[in-house]
Amino acid sequence: MSLAEFHALIAAPATLKILVTTDEDGTPRPAVSDFIAPGDGGTLLYFEPLESSKTQRNLTRAIWFDRPVSVVVVAADGRRFTARGRPQRAVIAGPRFQAHYAAFRADRGDVDLAAVWVIDVTGVEGLDLGADIATEERERPFFRHLDRIARA
Amino acid sequence: MNYVLTRTHFDDTATLREAWAKYPDFPRLIALKIDVQRRGVHYTDGALTLVDPALHQLRSANIFGTRDEKVRYLLPDSLLLRDGTSIVVDPAPLEWGPYVVDRVDDRLFLFDQGERLEEVELWHKPAFYDRSTSSGVPMNLIAQARPQRINIFQSSFCYFWAKDDGGCQFCDIVNFTKQQREVLSDRPERPRARDIAETVKEALKEKGRFTTFCLTGGSVLKGEELFDLEVSHYIETLQAIGENFTTKKFPSQLVASAFNEKQLRRLWEETGLTSYTSDLEVLNERLFEWICPGKAKHVGYREWRDRLIRAVDIFGRGNVNTGIVGGVELARPLGFQGEGEALEATLSEAEYLAERGVTTIHTVWVPRPGSQFRDQVAPSLDYYIRLASGLHRLRVKYGLSIDFDDYRRCGNHPDTDLARLL
Repeated sequence: MSLAEFHALIAAPATLKILVTTDEDGTPRPAVSDFIAPGDGGTLLYFEPLESSKTQRNLTRAIWFDRPVSVVVVAADGRRFTARGRPQRAVIAGPRFQAHYAAFRADRGDVDLAAVWVIDVTGVEGLDLGADIATEERERPFFRHLDRIARA
Repeated sequence: MNYVLTRTHFDDTATLREAWAKYPDFPRLIALKIDVQRRGVHYTDGALTLVDPALHQLRSANIFGTRDEKVRYLLPDSLLLRDGTSIVVDPAPLEWGPYVVDRVDDRLFLFDQGERLEEVELWHKPAFYDRSTSSGVPMNLIAQARPQRINIFQSSFCYFWAKDDGGCQFCDIVNFTKQQREVLSDRPERPRARDIAETVKEALKEKGRFTTFCLTGGSVLKGEELFDLEVSHYIETLQAIGENFTTKKFPSQLVASAFNEKQLRRLWEETGLTSYTSDLEVLNERLFEWICPGKAKHVGYREWRDRLIRAVDIFGRGNVNTGIVGGVELARPLGFQGEGEALEATLSEAEYLAERGVTTIHTVWVPRPGSQFRDQVAPSLDYYIRLASGLHRLRVKYGLSIDFDDYRRCGNHPDTDLARLL
């Protein structure tokens, strides 16, 4: 999938997006979010409305301690992907923040905007169970149960 | 009399990289911030080509001075790191070994001894800086900006300085005010309420630009009771600000003298103020008497501390704090003789306050040329990392928030940067 195709998928309103960060103890924290958009280059933007949210804290922890995050994407046609990345920047002030703030509020109503997180995407992986089954049966034949290949 | 040390102290302390390795659980960006604040910055000519006075906030009217003994207004105000952390920092002479801000392509980076460390951004100038009030005063002389905060300096004169031995030893407020007068001759001694109301109204037109106010100024001892006049000035200012809001209360911080309960109740009931700070400066009674003789004489350490604790009943837990000038407890010759001893004593006293609902925040001590302690040296980066971590741990232990003085509302306290994880 090209970057342009991936960004188009992210931008599509019907696409389900789940941002996965990790809590202090490493527990994954998924957050279904409408607030993810394509960014410049190979980045995604995550608009965090709450300064006090766990996701905001986890993203801070990620940028401080170089922790990865991921975004699970489910397209309207059923295709599924996982994007891996790392937060590169938290935009919390300045003209760029203010432009996002105005647009976010114009779009979402009377909500605040704590930060715009710029996530540097390091890879996108397709999640296709049918293809994965075929690959495993071809390349890892020891992993199947015998009854599946037994004579009837 | 000052105890003179050489300025080569940065050579014999742990380097930033050593600190990063020693404290893997301490954010590298905050350690960098601390060290930049300790050592100051130097902007190369190349870096200055990216500074646009139409876009960026240059050094402006301020309450405290700089370490380079000059008031140079064509330099950037301060910096932002990529995680949103502010570095409130002033220029330092090159011979002091500051970090260098240099240009690479069209971006700015911090360098240390030629090694590129992190990208930095300049603070952007708010739109109101280009406006004047109806009385003709430039609004940038009425209020000043941080990335997300409006500062209003009530008064740049501190009456503790009225007697030669009364001002705090690390402070340069009055000397710096005199220095600024030569450059900022239009600056009013005390901003008028009408000018403040108009400036705030203008500032609020920029959507998403500000989240809070910080009011501060020198202590004013006059009044029927000590500080009564100071309180009245702040009430006038806060009411002028409040004209611009639909709610009675608005996010705000007052950094002021240690007011008595009656004065604090007036502030709470008559204004929109939501938090209160009164700086003990150093958490030790003996050192307070030496370092802050005016405060010690007029109020005293224990009474200052008790007034903070009583303020919690009015403003609530998590809405009252005290600032310390981190490292001044090691000033020579009467300060603690070792960093371990200083840290233990400071955190112990901070815990006494935390148990009673008062949080302690620290700045990084910069021995300023206009202060009595001008020839002293700040402690090591290692010390500041342990101090910031210790104060943060106390907030965790006692469930105290610091929302009104955090990385975004203020940006000058490494310990409250850590509160982003709370």
